[in-house]
This record gives sequence, C-alpha cells and structure tokens, in this order.
Amino acid sequence: METKRSKYILAGLTLLCVLLIGISSLQDGFMDPLRAGVGYLLVPIQSGVNAVGSGIYEDLTDMAALREAQIENEELKTRVSELTEENNRLQAEQQELQRLRELYELDQDYMQYETIGARVIAKDSGDWFQIFRINKGSQDGVQVDSNVIAGGGLVGIVTDVGANYATVRSIIDDLSRVSAMGIRTGDKCIVAGDLTLYNEGRLRITNITTDGDIQDGDQIITSNISSKFLPGILVGYAADITIDPERLTKSGYLIPAAEFDDLQEVLVIVGTKDTGDSELGALEGSGS
Amino acid sequence: MKRILINLFLMVVAFIIQNCIFPLLPFLSASPNLLLIFTFSLGFIHGKEAGMLYGFFAGLLTDLFGGGPFGFYSLLYVYIGYVNGSFTQYYYEDYITLPLILSIGNELAYNLYIYVFRFLIRKRLDVLYYLKNIIVPEIIFTVVTTLLLYRLFLFISRKLEEMEQRRDSNFV
Repeated sequence: METKRSKYILAGLTLLCVLLIGISSLQDGFMDPLRAGVGYLLVPIQSGVNAVGSGIYEDLTDMAALREAQIENEELKTRVSELTEENNRLQAEQQELQRLRELYELDQDYMQYETIGARVIAKDSGDWFQIFRINKGSQDGVQVDSNVIAGGGLVGIVTDVGANYATVRSIIDDLSRVSAMGIRTGDKCIVAGDLTLYNEGRLRITNITTDGDIQDGDQIITSNISSKFLPGILVGYAADITIDPERLTKSGYLIPAAEFDDLQEVLVIVGTKDTGDSELGALEGSGS
Repeated sequence: MKRILINLFLMVVAFIIQNCIFPLLPFLSASPNLLLIFTFSLGFIHGKEAGMLYGFFAGLLTDLFGGGPFGFYSLLYVYIGYVNGSFTQYYYEDYITLPLILSIGNELAYNLYIYVFRFLIRKRLDVLYYLKNIIVPEIIFTVVTTLLLYRLFLFISRKLEEMEQRRDSNFV
C-alpha cells in the first residue's frame, strides 16, 4: 500500500518537474516571481552569514598579516613619495592631453560608465557553473544584462535580478560568450568560457578571421557590435593565437584581466546596452 | 510535523553554509554537497516518501538560486530521495558501510546528470577531464562529510523521536 502511494507521488512530482523545466525553458522569467519572493527572505540571511563568515576569516588572517603589513608599510611610504612625484608629472601631461583631445574633438565614449559597488554573497556550489549572487538588485538600478566588472576587467553579466539581489554569470562559465575585439586593430573575435581551461585560468578566443590581426599580448576589449556588453571594457590579453586546421579562422587563449579566485566586491554598470536589434551579436549570449 | 519543519529548517541552513561559507575557504578545492547528503540520509532513515519530500525541497532551493531551467534540480533530487528511500529496509542504526556506498552512488549520479544534460548536449565530450577535475574531488569531499554528518542526523532524528514519544506519553 505504502509503496503504491509513493509511486504515485513520484510520478506526480516527476510530471510537475518536467512541466516546470519545459515551461521555464520555453519562457524565460516564468519563475521570477517565486525567485524574487524567496530572495526577499533568503538574501538578508545570506548577506549576514557572508559578512560574519568573512569577518571571522579576516580576524584570523589579520594577526598573521600584521607583521607583514608593518614591513610593507615602510616600503610603501617610500613608494608613495616616489609616486606622488610621478603623479604630479602625469597630471601635467593629462592636462595637456585633455587640451589636445578637445582640439581634436575626440569622443570619450569608452569607460565612462556609471557603476555601483556590490558584494558577492553566495556562489553556486560545486564546480560545474561559475555563477554568483550579489547583494544589489533592481532597487539599486541593476537590470538583467547589466555588465559586471572588477579589478579593471569584465567579470560577467547579470542573468537574473530580484529586488535586493542579482545573479551574475561570470565570463569563465562554460556557457559564456562575449563578442570582443583587439584594441589595436579592432578585429572582432568571440571570447568563450571553457570549464576545461578553468584551472589554467584561461578562456578561449575563437572566430578571428584569418586576415584579422590579433597577436599574443594584445588587449582584448568588448566589441562595439556586442548586443549585451557595453563597448570598450577590458576583458583580458590574447595568448597563443594560432590558425585553425581548416584555415578559415584563427583561435587562441585569453588571460582575463579580472581575478576570479577571490572575488569579494564587484562593480555593476548601471544601464544596459540598447541596440534596438536583438539579432546583432547572435553568436554570443547565454547559449541556453 | 514538528520533525519535518526542523529538518526543512536545517536544510535551509545547510544550503546557506554551502553557498556563503564554503566559497570563503580558499583551501577547499572542492566542496561537499550538503543538500545531497541531507536528502539521501533523510530518505534512507525515514523512507521513500520522506526522501521525495526533502529531495523536492532541496531541489527547489537549488533551482531558486538560478541558472538553467527551473525544475532541473528538483527532478533529480526527488529521484535521489526516492531511490535512497527504497533502501530504508536495510536501515540499521550503527551501520555505516551502506550509507557510504549510497553516498558515492548519489554523487556520481548527481554529477553525471549535470554533465549529460548541461555539458554533453553542448558537445563537450571530454568526460575524463570532467571526471578527474570535478566529479572525483567532489565525491571525496562529500563522502568524508557524510561520515561526519550521517552520525549527526542519526543523533538528531533519535532525539526528535524521543521528544515526540515523550509528548505522546504525556497526553496519555
């Protein structure tokens, strides 16, 4: 009797789950109200636990770090005076550059984005996916497809947003595709995450045309034709570019500019790219 | 009823530890899957239906975290609860070998499920790489954690049973 009933329950739950999978893969955002509701309850707890956890961990490492810090402090003091001097000189040069730019009426489109800081409060368990959650959401102006940067480089893109949290898929995730270009020549390429390269700290660069000029060490930035990523954000540096066997394209590796090992704080760029044409950059995106 | 609520609460705690505390520990190269241990232990101790209930809850928590179609993990956890629940007839309190074997089997099933439906279908064919770098480390961590946690679950469920019995006898 008991086994029969549990079989019915199993069949019922299976049907329910399969239905949910079907509906949510056909229609994005179907479960968002539920996700947002649970987010209201869970996110404050996650933030708290995270703050306490990192607090304790920092206390433990503080003592060990103190001695090192004292030595470092001495070194840094001399460095500061050096840098102050250098800075003065650079400021003068910057002013000169500013004047010359105005003369040439150059646009300063790139990297003039408004950002807000956010804290990483949770990560996906297991090593399959590189997804994390931050403690800023739609209340703070974060939207789906908002770009996320840290340490001067692109980190990822917001895939799901609630009132007080947002889920970010980082560019090292296996599903991630970023339309990018070499800063020197503007040749287009695709930067793809790959789990098999994750341990080496690399990503894959593909779809460079054979006559495209991207060389080892070139800076790779997000492309102006990307549908989701704002143009001109540094992604990383090209390495080991070779011609593919079929001789139609070139591919290689990318060493990311952002550090992913120890991500604690990130910057979210407020506002998303508005291309008005979702067909553009069809190669990139979620892949889901 | 009270026991179910306490177990569900513990699962939320485990979920938060898994997502918020483990990533902070830099020396953990892989992290144990606490929700999986919860689902299988409770299923093994209390039977199929309990296993499905706790499994469904664990899956919902994981699905709510985001990433992928909703229900993907719920489906898997329901089955893990059900299958482990059907081993409940061999359940004997101080017997640790079978739970450990089950734990390894569960981890393997869990990771292969993710591999097949999220990676293999996108033509990521390098099974051996994923096995060596992701699946095996996670299995080891989870099995070691099972050794510790399974005893704790037994202790908790025994205490809760005692509490319920005491309350029942008070009424009589």
